[in-house]
Amino acid sequence: MDMMTLLIQAGVNGLVIGTMYALMAIGFTLVFGIMRVVNFAHGEFYMIGSFIAFFTYAQWQLPFVVTILAAVLLVGVVGALVEWALIRPLRGDELTGMIATLGISVVIQNTALMYFGASPRPMPDVISGLVRVGPAVFSWSRIFVIIAAALVIGAFWLFMQKSRTGRAMRAVAQDREAALIQGIDVEKIFPLAFGISVALAAVAGAMMAPVFSVSPFVGVTPMLKAFIVVILGGLGSIPGAVLGGLLLGMIESFGATLLGAMVADMLQLALVIAILLVRPSGLMGRKEA
Amino acid sequence: MNTTDTTVAPPAPKSRASASGLWTRLALVAAACVAAGFTPGLLPNLFYVHIANLTLISGIFALSLWIIYSVGQLSLCHAAFAGLGAYCSALLSLRLGVPPALSLVIAGLFTATMAALLGAVILRLRGVYFVLVTFLFGQMFTLLALNWQDVTNGANGLISIAPIKLLGISFGPRSMFFYLAFAMFMATLLFTWALSRSTFGRAFNSIEQNIDLAESCGIDTARFQVIAFAIGSGIAGVGGALIAHYIRYISPDTFTFHNSVAYITMLVVGGRSIFWGAVVGAAFLTPLPEFLRDFEGLQHIIYGAIMVLVLRTLPGGLISIPSTLRRLTGGGK
Repeated sequence: MDMMTLLIQAGVNGLVIGTMYALMAIGFTLVFGIMRVVNFAHGEFYMIGSFIAFFTYAQWQLPFVVTILAAVLLVGVVGALVEWALIRPLRGDELTGMIATLGISVVIQNTALMYFGASPRPMPDVISGLVRVGPAVFSWSRIFVIIAAALVIGAFWLFMQKSRTGRAMRAVAQDREAALIQGIDVEKIFPLAFGISVALAAVAGAMMAPVFSVSPFVGVTPMLKAFIVVILGGLGSIPGAVLGGLLLGMIESFGATLLGAMVADMLQLALVIAILLVRPSGLMGRKEA
Repeated sequence: MNTTDTTVAPPAPKSRASASGLWTRLALVAAACVAAGFTPGLLPNLFYVHIANLTLISGIFALSLWIIYSVGQLSLCHAAFAGLGAYCSALLSLRLGVPPALSLVIAGLFTATMAALLGAVILRLRGVYFVLVTFLFGQMFTLLALNWQDVTNGANGLISIAPIKLLGISFGPRSMFFYLAFAMFMATLLFTWALSRSTFGRAFNSIEQNIDLAESCGIDTARFQVIAFAIGSGIAGVGGALIAHYIRYISPDTFTFHNSVAYITMLVVGGRSIFWGAVVGAAFLTPLPEFLRDFEGLQHIIYGAIMVLVLRTLPGGLISIPSTLRRLTGGGK
């Protein structure tokens, strides 16, 4: 019975971090697919999201829905501005764009450090209480994260599949020039995609703020994981990001339960390196021309 | 990739301009050597000597990263190789009592070998994929250094590492170490220079410009990339070992992802098209945080902002300022 409970707990924990990784990775892969830019500042937008959650929810006691909306709008607009002002001129070269995002990341992280200090701040749960399923016990807050993340991912998926803008984005990701010929304003798609991408990161940050804590450095690990997930799933592939995120969450959770956190971390990296070498385009990525 | 039109650009080896440029540069190097002889005595206090030492070591890192960049690959685990060399040399001298001057060499060879083995596997990835896999290796190194307690002493790091002694002279004191660091830096600089003018350098350059064309011209691109990666990382290993024996303390924090980023920043800010850019970048960026110390907390922000600003306004880096000015004033070609 003990082993069984342990495994169920590990499964739920894996789902929680897995959905969070998926949220991070979707945005990351969206920007890469459309703009061919590896965004090293992605984790900083997660961090901004968790700070927004901390101030609006924990300090000003606003409803959590407002918190999420504030995170999406604020970070989305800032992201679009960052793209327009800083990344647009450097898009021509993959490496140059990537280096620029490194610089942006340094600036955002250290600005947060200057204003908020380095010490982590705890945040109260959005929902309290426990659920019992057979022998296993979960907290509602975990279940809440899973459901909320699934809803956000679903909404994003619908947007990409059904809406005109979403379809335009996919078209640009597939072939920029062909999309241009079809009358898609590529120059508007780029800031929009970047804004949506970092807004998703901010949602992940806001939802995970009660699970982890809030500090200027919370974005580093999720960004690392998003990296791993997109390599696993294939750079530029959105289904790959979801699958890779869940897979990585599970590997991490079960690995940590059965083998210890350190071994699990090393295993993850080794696995990803192996995948990159055998199948550089990832599990669900398409081959590049 | 933009190639700034500098006088030592490989395509015109016999032109008069190139030859006179070469002599100017050689004269500059000689002048630098003479100036260096007096530097430690002239600097107002040991703190400045320390900064000069760090700058020289940064120069070694930036130059070695440039060698890898010159085959068109950007390594995000340069600090990990520096760390590998540092741990190797420190452990050899701490545990086995190997004289540091010798362990430094062994560390360089060991790092180069590791890089060659790794490079043989990962260098077939290109562009962003290579960057990502080197990034992951950097993370693995940090994890390993943190968690392999028995060997690396974990987060506590290794302390009281012996200073380098050569022919009875100890290079432990800051002002003595300066001469060693300067010699090592000059060796790296001259080596990189010679390399970039050799057939190797031409091959590297052609791979960077157009790898497919280079391959079809009969250049063994895979082999040259591994060579460049091994040489660059090996030099980084020696640089890391120098730090270990100079600061005499290393920990996983000494060689993190952020250090790798700092080296890349030096390349970008200095100028990537030619190795002098790496030297300019290291010389400009290493002392910068120290001079920004008055703006406590702001220094890293300024650091990042400078990086973005240079990319935005001077894509060729600081080294392209003269040619940009010439173009702006209309006096150039």
